[in-house]
Amino acid sequence: MTALLQTLTDGLLIGGVYGVIAVGLSLVFGVLKIVNFAQAEFLMIGMYVAWFCWSYLGLDPIFGAFVALAAGFLIGAACQRLLVQHVIHAPPVAQIFLTVGLLAVLENGALMLFGSEFRSVQTPYQTAALEIGQLFISMPYLIAFVAAVTISLGLWLVLAHTWIGRAIRATSQNAQAARLFGIDTRVIYAIAFGLGTGLTAFGGGIILSYSAVSPTAGTQFVVLMFTVVVLGGLGSVLGALVGGLIVGVIQSLSTLVMPIQLQNLALFVVFITFLAFRPQGLLGKGAR
Amino acid sequence: MRHWIFAPVVLATALCSAPALAEKVNIGVVLPLSGANAQFGISSRNGIELALADMKSQGKLGDLDVNLVYADVPAPNAAGAAVQRLISQNQVVGVVGSFVSSITLAASEVTERAGIPMITHSFADQITGRGYRYIFQVTPKATTFGQKQFEYALDVAAKAGQKVTKIAILYEDTAYGTSQAEGIRKAAQRAGVDVVVDDGYPLGITDVAPLINKLRRSDAQVVFPVSYFNDGLLIIRSMRQQRINLPVIGGAAGYIIPDFQKGLGEFAEDVYSIAPANYDAIPAIADRYREKYGFFMAHESIMYGAALQHLIAAIQQAKSTDPEKIRDAVAGLKKCDGFATGIPGGCTAFDASGLSATAYPIFVQWRGTELVSVYPESSAKAPARWSGKEVK
Amino acid sequence: MKRSLLLILILAVAALALGQMLDPRGYNVRVLCLVLLAASLGQCWNIVGGLANQISLGHAAFFGIGAYTSTVLQTLGGITPWIGMPVGMLFAMTAALLLSLPTMRLKGPYFALATLAFGEACRILATAFPGITGGPQGISVPFVGNSWAMMQFRGAGNYVYLFTGLFVVVSVVFACLSHGRMGYLMRAVRENEEAAEVAGVNTLKVKLMGSLISAALTAATGTLFAQFTFFFDPESVFSASGISIRAALIAIVGGVGTLAGPIIGALIVVPLEELLSTYLSSKAAGIAPFTFGLILIAIVLLRPRGLITLFRNRRPSGART
Repeated sequence: MTALLQTLTDGLLIGGVYGVIAVGLSLVFGVLKIVNFAQAEFLMIGMYVAWFCWSYLGLDPIFGAFVALAAGFLIGAACQRLLVQHVIHAPPVAQIFLTVGLLAVLENGALMLFGSEFRSVQTPYQTAALEIGQLFISMPYLIAFVAAVTISLGLWLVLAHTWIGRAIRATSQNAQAARLFGIDTRVIYAIAFGLGTGLTAFGGGIILSYSAVSPTAGTQFVVLMFTVVVLGGLGSVLGALVGGLIVGVIQSLSTLVMPIQLQNLALFVVFITFLAFRPQGLLGKGAR
Repeated sequence: MRHWIFAPVVLATALCSAPALAEKVNIGVVLPLSGANAQFGISSRNGIELALADMKSQGKLGDLDVNLVYADVPAPNAAGAAVQRLISQNQVVGVVGSFVSSITLAASEVTERAGIPMITHSFADQITGRGYRYIFQVTPKATTFGQKQFEYALDVAAKAGQKVTKIAILYEDTAYGTSQAEGIRKAAQRAGVDVVVDDGYPLGITDVAPLINKLRRSDAQVVFPVSYFNDGLLIIRSMRQQRINLPVIGGAAGYIIPDFQKGLGEFAEDVYSIAPANYDAIPAIADRYREKYGFFMAHESIMYGAALQHLIAAIQQAKSTDPEKIRDAVAGLKKCDGFATGIPGGCTAFDASGLSATAYPIFVQWRGTELVSVYPESSAKAPARWSGKEVK
Repeated sequence: MKRSLLLILILAVAALALGQMLDPRGYNVRVLCLVLLAASLGQCWNIVGGLANQISLGHAAFFGIGAYTSTVLQTLGGITPWIGMPVGMLFAMTAALLLSLPTMRLKGPYFALATLAFGEACRILATAFPGITGGPQGISVPFVGNSWAMMQFRGAGNYVYLFTGLFVVVSVVFACLSHGRMGYLMRAVRENEEAAEVAGVNTLKVKLMGSLISAALTAATGTLFAQFTFFFDPESVFSASGISIRAALIAIVGGVGTLAGPIIGALIVVPLEELLSTYLSSKAAGIAPFTFGLILIAIVLLRPRGLITLFRNRRPSGART
């Protein structure tokens, strides 16, 4: 019983982090209708930014994550304005491969700039854990989870209650109609993309507290990110968070019944099943 | 003044009888210099360059002009074309590389068919198990590493007065982790020791909590993780979080790089690892390396440096650039100086299958920011510490 | 149709002639083989991605199935790859059928994601069953020297015949599909699936046919790859970025949906990769894939319909709006 409870807890905690990493991808797809294969590289960028903040400014990664958010936003918005904007109306094939090229550029750019060594942080709470009876709750996971939930709720509030948020939602529902209402959709696209990449970068900053960064840090998360987003529903913020929690729990629980090597396999089966029977995910809006 | 008539004759004779090797020779270096294993490829390259520089400055090259031609091969698929290019366009007479076993396997398929000798430190069992004549390995096999990882641990534990009956094996699921874990597993079976946790995990794992939970619930007395850096870090940290203080015997790779200690700080203290070589065996060379590159010399720097020196010595011995003759020289040569002294056993020498005839794995342990060789006695530079107590 | 067949013939003759002129154990002939291999792979992808507009990011699954089937049959039973290849093709078709069941109705990016996950799932399976596949350590094709019977040779020279043959077969299939009734139906499905349904086209059957054919040919390509490189592991043949994305890339750079697109793409991608890794790689790690990413972005931005548009003034026949 304690095994089950422990696994469930761990799955939820890590799921929260998966959620915040994936929420950016969901936003980008929801608004721009583009699958951004380079999204995971922004995770890596976020991790590096947070690392440099820790290394030179002594900032804890959780605070560094906010700096990462800003950096991810700026870089993402620039990428959108300069590159992605040109393929908004191109066949999906071109959109996919623009972002694939971007992936290669970002990953290898980081390799050339920062070198291949792993860099990690040391924080006082890294090896701390809360003991509740037989349950161990890892402190970095808990803090990451709290940060993830906070920022996700923050995003939801922005989308629901601010003008920018409404403009973004309007553009994602019907770009032409939004233009008729005077919304400059090109600006909105840039902002939405930047927000998406910024959020993933924020996720990277949080992860840094318990993981290490290298130029290839993002690639571990690519398929996971997409699984979360499809599960929760492409375009839905709350869906991404929910999807993250579900994926975290599935991953965790699956280790009780099958070798941990196959944990991603369990995930893919769920993923493909969802795509087959409910492609809009749990909270999404139609498979277009 | 009769003498001057002899001068041009003497000069001409001198020129004509100059050693056949006052010539340029190309050696191929195939390493992952980009991608996920770039760090190891780069440190291997560092070792190679220092080894060549040493030979030059010590005058050991003689008239040989060695030119290193690098090929960046981040993954096995690119190996074939890269090696073929080195052979056909650069006319390399030998190849050194490639750290990652799968890249070495792919590259050696080409060198074997082209008849070019290749020296590697990669240790997947298959490398020397194909019956090939042109591949040479300066290290023992992966299963030997696994086996010694287990046996040394039990030896040290026994000396410390602990009888070990239950162990845990955690391994990342690429070729390296899988094959070494197999070695540990078999050795445990032979010794009648129970493997209560035996789990492979995907290399890019981001959450090791399920593994450590399992470990906590088991009654393993010693943990044998075979990991790269990121997963190794996660494992040690999770163990500390859950107050698990079992002796940890790492499986090389992630456990013996400077970043491991930087990442874990005090938690790296006393962590063991099996290793192919350690820099405290060659303090003079290691100091030069540290001065040049800023951190301690990793084992791959030592091994690839030794591999290059062996190849060059073989070329000199063969007095020819015919790869067949060089191959025979490589196979027959036993070199016990220079970088080779840094390899346990002190030499580079090969048996009939290309496997090292003299090397054996050693145990290293973290002491502060340094890695210290602690076992077996022939390589130990300091006594081992088991569960906090020094072992005599 | 006649023009297409003529084009294929010319390319085949050119490849064979070039193969004869080059040193059979040299590097350049190896590059020629890689170009033909890449072009074949791209052409296989082109069948579903170009004609039927099903963007698959999981073709590595079929490639790997082909490679593993023929190699495992060799190592376990000494069976020649000439038999192993059709067996692999059969397995790949079965896998394609299995994959199609839940995914046929999916659109665009959803379909792409499903195929990506499928490719990854295959990789994990190959890693988890070392008894059959050799696991993560990879598997080697047993070395028998020069042998047509066992489909392997010491030097790259003889492979030119094999790869040219493969390319011709895949391209002819593409041409037949493109010009025949099936191609007509596929274009209808691609332009407007709902309208096609209304007009009575069995869209599912059309998409399925394309998928099965493409899977089978991709598996054949996988077998030839295994016979050429002799060693591979799950990472090499089931790789999303190394195989799946590359296949699509080659078709796209050249001109998706066109017969000559993949060959143009291969002629650009392969030599470029080799050039970059020869001249730039040792200077700074990562500079080769970095430059490659830049070029990919440039091509997508400046010539999204592929480089074939440099040779044509009008839109390539049947290209999507």
